[in-house]
Amino acid sequence: MDVETGRRAPHDAAVTFDPRLNGLTWLALKGALLSLVTFGIYRFWYVTDIRRFFWSRTAVDGSPAEYTGTGKELFLGFLVALAILVPVYLGLFALSFAAPALAPFSVVISFVTLFLLGQYAIYRGRRYRAMRTLWRGIRLGQDGSGLAYAARAGAWWLLVFLTFGVAFPFMRASLERYRINHTLVGTSRMTSTARGRSVLGPWLLFYVVALGPLIWLGLALLAAADFSLPTDLLVPRPGGKPGETILNPAYAGSNIGLIANTLLFATAVCIPAALLLIPFYRARETRAFMRAARLGGVRLASSLRARDFYWPYIVYGLSLLGIFLALGFVTGVMVFAAQNAGVSVIHWIVILAYLVGLPLFAVLYVRLVQARLWAAVATSTVVVNPEELAAVLASSRGAGSGLQEGLADALDVGGALQIGL
Amino acid sequence: MTSTIPPGADAPPVEAAGRYFNGASARPHQVCLRLDGRFRVTGPGVARDWNPLDLRAADSMPPLMRVGPAHEPERVEFSDDALAAALAARCPDLHRRDEAGGVLRLVLWSVAAGLSVLLVAILGVPHLARLLVPLVPETVEARLGATVEPQVLRLLGSPPACTEASGRAALARLVARLAAAGQADGASPSDLAVSVRRQGTANAFALPGARVILLSGLIERAKAPDEVAAVLAHELGHVSARDPTRSLIRASGTSFLLSLILGDLTGSTMIVAIGQALLSAGYSREAERAADAHAVGLMARAGGNGAALADVLERISSDDDRRGTLDLLRTHPLTAERAAAIRALAGPEAPGRQILSAEDWAALKGICGPSP
Ligand SMILES: [Zn+2]
Repeated sequence: MDVETGRRAPHDAAVTFDPRLNGLTWLALKGALLSLVTFGIYRFWYVTDIRRFFWSRTAVDGSPAEYTGTGKELFLGFLVALAILVPVYLGLFALSFAAPALAPFSVVISFVTLFLLGQYAIYRGRRYRAMRTLWRGIRLGQDGSGLAYAARAGAWWLLVFLTFGVAFPFMRASLERYRINHTLVGTSRMTSTARGRSVLGPWLLFYVVALGPLIWLGLALLAAADFSLPTDLLVPRPGGKPGETILNPAYAGSNIGLIANTLLFATAVCIPAALLLIPFYRARETRAFMRAARLGGVRLASSLRARDFYWPYIVYGLSLLGIFLALGFVTGVMVFAAQNAGVSVIHWIVILAYLVGLPLFAVLYVRLVQARLWAAVATSTVVVNPEELAAVLASSRGAGSGLQEGLADALDVGGALQIGL
Repeated sequence: MTSTIPPGADAPPVEAAGRYFNGASARPHQVCLRLDGRFRVTGPGVARDWNPLDLRAADSMPPLMRVGPAHEPERVEFSDDALAAALAARCPDLHRRDEAGGVLRLVLWSVAAGLSVLLVAILGVPHLARLLVPLVPETVEARLGATVEPQVLRLLGSPPACTEASGRAALARLVARLAAAGQADGASPSDLAVSVRRQGTANAFALPGARVILLSGLIERAKAPDEVAAVLAHELGHVSARDPTRSLIRASGTSFLLSLILGDLTGSTMIVAIGQALLSAGYSREAERAADAHAVGLMARAGGNGAALADVLERISSDDDRRGTLDLLRTHPLTAERAAAIRALAGPEAPGRQILSAEDWAALKGICGPSP
């Protein structure tokens, strides 16, 4: 019995995240400024610092994780990735000249090649992070093949495309199962029972919000027009470009015109409104996938709430708004003063805004969004049957190549911190 | 005098409770920790004795502290301020990281690397382009032109092509005369394609693969057929010197290197930069002077007025208010010296000649149909 710690159930162990973020501001500020002067090369060391910061504050059953990666490894990996990518780019570029018949498809071919390469890179990057993570001195690992993962992702995305997006949650669950089933803690393999069905509801909500009112209004429009839409409802805009149309003014007073106007207005409102559902879906998915993960007899319980994913974005958005207002005010004052003095300062304002804004946004983003999202996921998670963690044994595998994450950085996929497993 | 005795070894010993992990299993062992001259870890089935100089601390949030011997998987976790302070005092290398430090060196190296890439982009790439252009076969250049033309047109705002039949016939006769004059010195390309597009700016572009685009603004503001013909002949000068191809190679190389140091390798900036460079970055002063000379010579052999090139450039430069970002003068800066050089080359009797008949000139003026 673990009475004095006040845990929910006697056999659960909490995942904790230290909410004191002292030092993070300085870390982000230093990272942003040094990345600026080093043409971005410092970002590898910055990412390493950020990961050490977050890993060391996240504890499972009282023992924090440990990140052992280095900036040098990331940088060398990036250089190796360049050596792979430059010929790929040149090859794609040359393809449209070597085979003129393919020229119309060159955009598609480039996109598919880079997408598959990106998925491969994501999987390899995850392997690097796993192999540089220690818990109680035991190294995590990941087997499986990046090529197999990229092939799966490619096939699934094709299916998502063909089903107008309905297959999306099933794709997410399938890829999650592949990732988790190939994740090792020492010699113990993790398993996942993630099912697309468990997040189908939140996913379909997108359709309800974005398309529901549109379909309903469309039906109303058809009914009002006795199921035969007038062919002159849309007319070319007078003096506009070809293809530009407006509602025929002749229908302005009628029921049809009213419904058609509402439809246009709803299109402008519903689709952006659906974007606001993204944090909700992400929270539901993270919770479902966390609950589906197992390590032998150990499993995770998650009580993640959607509002924990909204709050960071709201605070971040409001602070950005404040900053823009302040910057606008300062700019206005400076322009006014400069006009009176008769000098042009617009270049200096742009440079100043860039130098002040870039580090400021970097600090705000890592503190307000990344740290809070990370904390929300960690602190809402509980380890069930933690005593079985004692059965985890270290593996004799080596730490693996340090070059595996470079491709992900060169292709700009994945980030310093990946929420979820 | 041995240096293996850590500082403060004679200080009173500090003790605390902690958890020991042997690095082979995740099972915690409750242990007693004692720091005197050595760091001793004792508990049921555990007896470790480490030199404090070998100890390294992993990142952790106080009061939790995590230490173990360097390069070993063994770890001890404890939450005791007195022991943490004693360790910090007696283990000088406790927070040493093999990788840490060297930020200044890193900054200096990356600035040096960035500057060297920048220098290569600015100085090396134009030279390389000059060397590469003769190696590009004509068929590849034709395909390059076919790829680039739609992009250039998109940047111009997709102006419609002008297809009035009589105007096109007049243009064809003009192009044929200039091409025939060019054939005399054997410098004219075989598959010349000249098109007119409806666009208000007064400009003309030469693209790889002997493609020339005339904008209708130029024809509108020309007062004589020789002015249009001279600008066309000037662009043909660029074509025969293969300036557009060289400019394309230079722009791709430079933007590739710049996107390399700016860390953007997805190529999005590259595509935009190439088209923009073709449109707005002019050729070098020498290339312009050579194209001027080519134009005057071509006009003279075709029986036209080469000095009209100076006339039309001067007229456009005086219309200051209508100057846009893609104006001919932006890409072909006119200097008094350049105009004088054109007139001197053309000779005193040139202004008396006219390259097209009055009917053909009227037809060419109407190639875009009635203005909207
Ligand atoms: Zn020119």
